[in-house]
Amino acid sequence: MATTAPLAANEIRFRSLFENTPEIILYQNADSIIQDANPAFLALVGEAKENVVGRSYNDFLPPEVHQLFADKLREAFTGHMVRFDMYAGQGRSAPRHWDVVKVPLWEQGRVVGVHMVARDITDRTRTQEELFAQNQDLQQFTYIVSHNLRAPLANAIGLVDLLSTEEPDSPYFAETRDHLQQNLRQLDQVLQDMNTILTIRDRQDLARPEDVTLAELLAQVIYNLQDMLDQCGGTVQVEVPAGLLVRGNRAYLYSIFFNLLSNAIKYRAEGRPLRVVVAATGTPEQAKTITVADNGSGFDLEQAGDKVFKLYKRFHPHHPGRGLGLYLVKSHIDSMGGHIEVQSQVDAGTRFTLVLP
Amino acid sequence: MQTLLVDDDPTVIFLVKRLFDYEGLPDALTTFLSPVEALAFLQQQVPAGALPQVILLDLNMPLLNGWEFVEALKPLEEMLRGQCLLYILTSSLAPTDARRAEDNPLVTGLLHKPLGRQQIQAIRARVQGQGVA
Repeated sequence: MATTAPLAANEIRFRSLFENTPEIILYQNADSIIQDANPAFLALVGEAKENVVGRSYNDFLPPEVHQLFADKLREAFTGHMVRFDMYAGQGRSAPRHWDVVKVPLWEQGRVVGVHMVARDITDRTRTQEELFAQNQDLQQFTYIVSHNLRAPLANAIGLVDLLSTEEPDSPYFAETRDHLQQNLRQLDQVLQDMNTILTIRDRQDLARPEDVTLAELLAQVIYNLQDMLDQCGGTVQVEVPAGLLVRGNRAYLYSIFFNLLSNAIKYRAEGRPLRVVVAATGTPEQAKTITVADNGSGFDLEQAGDKVFKLYKRFHPHHPGRGLGLYLVKSHIDSMGGHIEVQSQVDAGTRFTLVLP
Repeated sequence: MQTLLVDDDPTVIFLVKRLFDYEGLPDALTTFLSPVEALAFLQQQVPAGALPQVILLDLNMPLLNGWEFVEALKPLEEMLRGQCLLYILTSSLAPTDARRAEDNPLVTGLLHKPLGRQQIQAIRARVQGQGVA
């Protein structure tokens, strides 16, 4: 004969689970009112139980997920277990990734309430995202090895073969040797670039943000580019509020604006003096929007597509360039949690729009 | 052996030119650093019947890469078939590029850089053997 544990013992077991599990557990009615909440939830939202029970769960969720939760709760009340992922803060906690399960509780043939169990999967999600990014890096690395690294090397092999057949005093000998020298330098440059990029990636987590006065930073960049600007008769106009602060890594910010402005100089239009306008808007609470707009030679955005910020992609056929600058710019901005967009028109100019925290 | 070389790398242009000199073909090579200009040239020449017997095409180029170049030649496929040998000339060792070359009916083959005299001789033999005009 099967024996069942006394109800009291069961109660103790389930209470212990409810009280001690790291997952957050809520019991809700059809109107989303919290009937019970476990200590993990109370700790997360930083409230005592009496301030939670009797309130709508929506009070603890950002508005953008209210509809999602309403839909899922309704579905659970039809008698189905539902499971979904979401990314949101709860109460005053920072946004996290959650694996949410809603389990209906049946009593006498109808659903009387729904238990919600949510597990914090932020670490796992981040690991997956990192893995995905690293896989992409690896693919990109393969491409770089087979093209950018092997191209000058293959040239060097061909040139050395040629050298052995040329007369040492002939002009061809000298020209071959010059090409050889150039290609070996290029090979070295690619290796140095790789080193730069990998160093940035290593340091990304360590980049400690600070408040940087944008106008001062820009003045410093322009000061260092002044010779090049003078040589081409170019001007940079800065329209940035004097006290505007940008939160980020100072070295990255310097590199971003140095790269954007030296690109503007490099790809200026032949027929007119270069003019660049750097403008910024934003308040201490808001994200800062910064535009860098030039009247340079521009490029065909449609043709360039999503390759603009890719490593070793170039868009100006008659200008030297390694295709590193904009890749670095985007890496830096990404690592500071901002983003960048570009508009460009051939022979009219290029405008970069940066949004920084 | 009228040959068109498309490569944005001046060293490759220099190397191939020199090899053609050594093969006794100093006037057989037309070169383009810009794939866009090379394509415009072909689009004009091919319908007029003045097509090269051999095209050597680099893959990694700005604005128009080698595969995009081949794609842009599609409308001329009928006129090129049997008349012109198109070789991809690349530093890439990626198997995906080799597979793509194999799968594309317009592409005769894939040559790894650096190009050598033996490869030029082999292409020459093939051009003569096929009687490519």
